[in-house]
Amino acid sequence: MKERMQNSSLKQEFLKNWIKGLQLHTNFNKNTTILERRKAIKLSADIAIASTRNSTTRWSRALISDASRDGSNKTLIEKISGREAPRKDSFGLIRCSKKIMKRSRVTRQIRARKAVLPSVVGASLIEKKLVKSRTRALKRLVPGGEDMDEISLIKETIDYIVSLRVQVDVMGRMASVADRLIPFKSL
Amino acid sequence: MQPTSRELLEMNNLNPLVSLREIHNSQMSTSSHFDPTSSHDDFLDQMFSSVPSSASSFPWPEDHAPPPCHMEEQSTALLASKLRQQQISNGAAKALMLQQQLFLSRGLAVNGLRSPSAADIGFLNIPHADQDDVVDGSCYKSANPDQDASIKSLFNGFTGSIGHSSNQPQHLLHSQGGALQSHKFGGAAAPEMNQPAASGSSGGGTAGQPKQRVRARRGQATDPHSIAERLRRERIAERMKSLQELVPNANKTDKASMLDEIIDYVKFLQLQVKVLSMSRLGGAAAAANPLVADMSSEGGRIGNGTKTASSSNNNDGMTVTEHQVAKLMEEDMGSAMQYLQGKGLCLMPISLATAISTSTCHSRSHHPLASASNNNQLLNGEAACPTSPSVSALTVQSATIAANGGGETSLKDANSVSKP
Repeated sequence: MKERMQNSSLKQEFLKNWIKGLQLHTNFNKNTTILERRKAIKLSADIAIASTRNSTTRWSRALISDASRDGSNKTLIEKISGREAPRKDSFGLIRCSKKIMKRSRVTRQIRARKAVLPSVVGASLIEKKLVKSRTRALKRLVPGGEDMDEISLIKETIDYIVSLRVQVDVMGRMASVADRLIPFKSL
Repeated sequence: MQPTSRELLEMNNLNPLVSLREIHNSQMSTSSHFDPTSSHDDFLDQMFSSVPSSASSFPWPEDHAPPPCHMEEQSTALLASKLRQQQISNGAAKALMLQQQLFLSRGLAVNGLRSPSAADIGFLNIPHADQDDVVDGSCYKSANPDQDASIKSLFNGFTGSIGHSSNQPQHLLHSQGGALQSHKFGGAAAPEMNQPAASGSSGGGTAGQPKQRVRARRGQATDPHSIAERLRRERIAERMKSLQELVPNANKTDKASMLDEIIDYVKFLQLQVKVLSMSRLGGAAAAANPLVADMSSEGGRIGNGTKTASSSNNNDGMTVTEHQVAKLMEEDMGSAMQYLQGKGLCLMPISLATAISTSTCHSRSHHPLASASNNNQLLNGEAACPTSPSVSALTVQSATIAANGGGETSLKDANSVSKP
């Protein structure tokens, strides 16, 4: 019950933010292509859902900072989240340093692996490899996931999935509402 | 939450032990019951030192002692397991309530047992109440300052846990709990205790996560590294469990396939957002500019119904197709449709797709979102049967296409004939 209440307030907040963002794009005319429009809408939606978290989660911060890297989105971000678009410098530095660390770790691992070659590859080894590769894939999917350790990755994934579901739900409802509102005109 | 739950487990294991000690001491009628020499742990010492040395007589009749003994073990184990489960399911409220419960029992031990009748009734009656409800009820009651009522409700809580006893991990935790107790009682264990505890007594069990000294399982070292490793693994396992509840079709046991499911689900959701944002173009644009050309040019999303290539290939193929069709749609609807037909796909309003798929896979117990896990990249938000032949047609999650309701259906009819 409590979760449902939380969920609905999340949805409302996301809708509010999203509409705020969409209002900036009322200049759609015949010339804007579908893809452009889609990108604009998706961007508004993403920033909207990220700002419902108020920078408490890493994926939301990463999403907003990615968006703010492109200068033209600045007004959008500021309008939706109601606060200054974050400076990307700090994130960039952290990312650089972590990449360096990762690279050194990887080379170390490669060297270690070359030294010890197991003649028989056990099932556990295979599973470990699978888990590793899939963790990497998950890190790529979740925004800002590259820098996280496994524990926080899972935590972030949970939050991200919840937010994605909210996003899909609200956008889907908008879609069905617009269905009925838009009068049909023959092709 | 972690530290508190650890403390909880400590106390969890302690409190029934305290009352068990009382039972033993009443049995053996030793004068000083809280024998500090038999306790090996710091926290136990703390517990016992807080208890007044002179307690009132234990009016529990002797013949009632053995069954409570037995049940106490179970209740220890069960409480521990219950706590674990709640820990995992993030029942912070419930954990707090259990803590309350334990605090109350502590107070109970301090003040001596005043209402043994309640205890007898509690232990002998095993109501089949729902575990959680009983706990909740008891904890709510226990908030009452009234001691007797609280004691009674506390025992109700215990019995609730006992009533839940017959199920799964009982014998495992039984031996674990038994081991723990035997270890803690040391030599002072009564013969009844020794019997069930004998099995697990050798290595000692780590029933909980006590902060100070960790009793390792057989063959495991107690050095901090492995402890940290274990903690880390347990934390990950907890989180994976809560993730399991979110992701549909997540009944997989091993980590690799769980991760696979998670990845598929995240990809699916992201894809849905992408598609919905394309469909929303209709709403946003049409509101501003209600020209027909706009509406007809709004894209449909293309999903491949055939289970051909691997997911990555599918993905690339679809984006390319998608872009192509979008471009074509802007110019001329007909050419777009021809292009689709060439690929063996067709457009269909999502409501119809939903209707078809739900009618064909009526018998399936699939979760609708599980379609993502079939690596189909089918973009049915609602439709669930990628394998049904009718849904090898393209499903378009576009409200605008559906909005172009009537006319589009005629188009669809023409095209639905040409299903692969």
